Amino acid sequence: MNGFAALGILVALVAATTVVGLAWRATTGRARPTRGDEVVEPADVGAGGFGDRATLLQFSSEFCAPCRSTARVLGALAEDVSGVQHVEVDVTGRPELADRFHILQTPTTLVLDGTGAIRARIGGAPRADDVRTTLHHILGSHHVSA
Amino acid sequence: MSQPEPTPKTGIDPRSPRFGAAITAVLLLVDLFLSLVGATAAAAVLLLAIALLFAWGAFAGVQRHPYGAIFRAAVRPRLAPPAELEDPAPPTFAQGVGLLVTGVGLLLFVAGVPLALPIAAALAFVAAFLNSVFGYCLGCQLYLLLVRARVIRRRATA
Repeated sequence: MNGFAALGILVALVAATTVVGLAWRATTGRARPTRGDEVVEPADVGAGGFGDRATLLQFSSEFCAPCRSTARVLGALAEDVSGVQHVEVDVTGRPELADRFHILQTPTTLVLDGTGAIRARIGGAPRADDVRTTLHHILGSHHVSA
Repeated sequence: MSQPEPTPKTGIDPRSPRFGAAITAVLLLVDLFLSLVGATAAAAVLLLAIALLFAWGAFAGVQRHPYGAIFRAAVRPRLAPPAELEDPAPPTFAQGVGLLVTGVGLLLFVAGVPLALPIAAALAFVAAFLNSVFGYCLGCQLYLLLVRARVIRRRATA
C-alpha cells in the first residue's frame, strides 16, 4: 500500500473513533425512565435499608475510576434531599446481581422510589442535574399518589 | 459496601494516565502506518516496544511507568493541581488489557498471520484514543463483562 492510501486509512480510523467517542459522551450518564414495575428490596442487594422517599442505588466494580467520583456526587445529592439515601454495591464479587439488573458497565445507578420500584436507570457517571430532575419527578409524583 | 477511598498518598493525578494514553495512541498510529505501507519488520519491533511499555504499567503499576514520570516532570508543573486523586488500580488494569491485545497480535503475527499486526495496533489505538480524549474507562465495561462471564471470581466483601 502506498503512503497516501495508508494515511487515508489512518484519518478514517481517527474520524470513526472520534464519532464513537462523541456518541458515547452524548449518551453516558443520562437518566432513562423505566416502567417502574420492578421492585428492589434492601436485602436483595445486601443493604441495611433504603431511603424513605427515594434511593440512589449505585453498582460499582473494582477497577472503576468513575465509580469513586460517582459515589461522591450521589452521596452529596442524598445529603441534600431529605428522605433520599445513597447505597453503593460492589458487584465484583456478586455477578448474580449484575445478571439480575442487566448491568453492562459500572457505574450503573438505579433510581428507586419510596416503595423500592425502579423508576430510572443511569449508565455511566451520572449527570447531577439529571439525577436532581429525576428525584424531583419521583418525589413529586409520590406525594400526589400518597 | 462502599469501596475504600484511595488515600492521597497512593492516589495519582487522573490526568496522568490520559497523558500516557495519548502517547500510546500516537505510537500505535505510527505503528499502523508502518504496517500498512509494508514496513513490517519495523512495525513488529515498534508493537513489541509498545507491548513492553504496557507490561511495565501492568506489572509495576502505572505509578512507576515512564509516562507517569514524564507527566510529573514536564506536564503537571504547568497545570493546576488536580481536583481529586484517583486510585491507580483502574488504569493499571487498562495497561493489562493493552498488553493482552498487543501481545496476542504479536503472537499471531509470529505464528504466520500478517494481518494480526495492523488489526492489533488499530484495536489498541481505539481504546487508547477513547481513554485519552474522552476519558472512556475500559475497565468499567470489560471487567464487568468478565465478572458476568464468571471469568473473574471474587468473594463478596460487602
